[in-house]
Amino acid sequence: MRALLHFSGDAVAKRNAALRKDRSLLTPLFGVPALFFSCILFLLCCTSLAWGISEIPASFQGENPFQAETEAHEITGSHSPGDSFSAGVRLEGEQGLKVAGLQDSQKEPPPEAGPKKQVQEEDNWMEEGKSQSPLPDPLEPVNRAFFHFNDKLYFWFLKPIGQGYEIALPILARVSIRNFFSNLMMPVRAVSCLLQGKFKGVGIELTRFMVNTSAGFLGFQDVAKIALDMPLQDEDLGQVLAFYGIGPGFYLDLPLLGPTTLRGAVGWGGQLYMNPLNYLLDEWWPNIFARTVDIVNSTSLRIGEYEALKEASLDPYIALRDAYYQFRLSQIEK
Amino acid sequence: MYCRRLSLAPIFFFILILCSPVATYGGTPMEGVRDTTNKIIAIVSDPALKTPDKKKEKAGLIRAAVDERFNWEEMSKRALARHWSARTEEEKKEFIDLFGKLLERTYLDKVEGYSGEKVLYVDEVVDEKYATVSVKIVTKKDTEISVLYRVKKDGDNWLVYDISIEGVSLINNYRKQFNSIIVQNSYKELVDKLREKVEK
Repeated sequence: MRALLHFSGDAVAKRNAALRKDRSLLTPLFGVPALFFSCILFLLCCTSLAWGISEIPASFQGENPFQAETEAHEITGSHSPGDSFSAGVRLEGEQGLKVAGLQDSQKEPPPEAGPKKQVQEEDNWMEEGKSQSPLPDPLEPVNRAFFHFNDKLYFWFLKPIGQGYEIALPILARVSIRNFFSNLMMPVRAVSCLLQGKFKGVGIELTRFMVNTSAGFLGFQDVAKIALDMPLQDEDLGQVLAFYGIGPGFYLDLPLLGPTTLRGAVGWGGQLYMNPLNYLLDEWWPNIFARTVDIVNSTSLRIGEYEALKEASLDPYIALRDAYYQFRLSQIEK
Repeated sequence: MYCRRLSLAPIFFFILILCSPVATYGGTPMEGVRDTTNKIIAIVSDPALKTPDKKKEKAGLIRAAVDERFNWEEMSKRALARHWSARTEEEKKEFIDLFGKLLERTYLDKVEGYSGEKVLYVDEVVDEKYATVSVKIVTKKDTEISVLYRVKKDGDNWLVYDISIEGVSLINNYRKQFNSIIVQNSYKELVDKLREKVEK
């Protein structure tokens, strides 16, 4: 599933690269990269500062009204570990809200009410699934058609190419190439962290970029993670939109791009302007070449994931839709 | 005689106190998950079982280890959710059997590809008879996969009733599929599809 998600982001970018051939379309955007990179430079200078004040953002985040609101809604899920169903209930849209409301009205039951609450949930889980889908899917027939298109695209083209590539390059090389491209996408993650007020994340991303680009040989080695214990911050513009309380809209399974929501698609649109490849490679053909390598490389590392999902499911379309949505929710929650 | 019995009483209680935790406390949830995981890793990395003719034997051993730890009934109940109560006892039995087999096979496919991935036990949270165990799997491709086991106390044992991989709950995922098939077709259609999948 993630394989598909992964291709999709790059595929948008690929189409964008094709658009870039049209110079007239691009001319008004030249100001954007200049501005953007000067911002990044400025941020780089502030990195040490950001590290110094990494304690402040934590409290800032706590006071953020948006976050407080989401926490209030999700209060039922985060309470006890046993309530997978309450997490499930949370996904169930309308009904989830009803249950959440019900438990909110109990005003945080005292500790001794714990078992009672669980018994209550024990009864509740039977009611789950009343609302058929938490994520609206009004375009299901169209989405299903595109799902089949993507399925064939994967099995007929991407997978065979990825398999050939897998044989040609050892795994270490492929992981390094993946690291290189993911290091390059730092601006997307840093800006997304920044827009969510996750200053520590911004600091980590910028430090990672500096360390990995220098000590990690242009990003081929992820030394920041190994040596400094600074993992990649998995943030994007879709998550930023969710952070500001914008709902997912509805489900979309786009040709070439794979599963997303209306919100996710808007996020992708914004990210097109943040892809450094567009600014680093002026000619269209190295740009296309770089993206192709990226797509084929990540495909080769993910062969088997989509197959496993398909193999284990009774309705692969719904399985993918739900897996995408659950995965996305957990990403947003972080 | 009376006096002698009285003097034995404290010793008796002392022994009782010593024994009681052992009798009622069958390890922590994490120990349970770790136990089963180690057992399965031992089976899949056993060189004696790697030959093609031992494939069936190996699958049987894994199945037995998984059976011990997974609560198929709880999983079926949760996956069918509101459709569960509408089932007769026989239907329930049949469903548990089929769904259990599907899950087993899915799990088997996953672990058969095991090639020395590291399993790190991160955390466990216990709340009465429910608990979660978080695990991190570090693959050869240098990616970390976070896995969350949801377990429920069953007698002395902690049994798994759901697995979340990267935040995607297996049971929630099946629930969506099952519900869609039942609502759009029928329960019979679901069972037919399950059977077809399992027997394939």
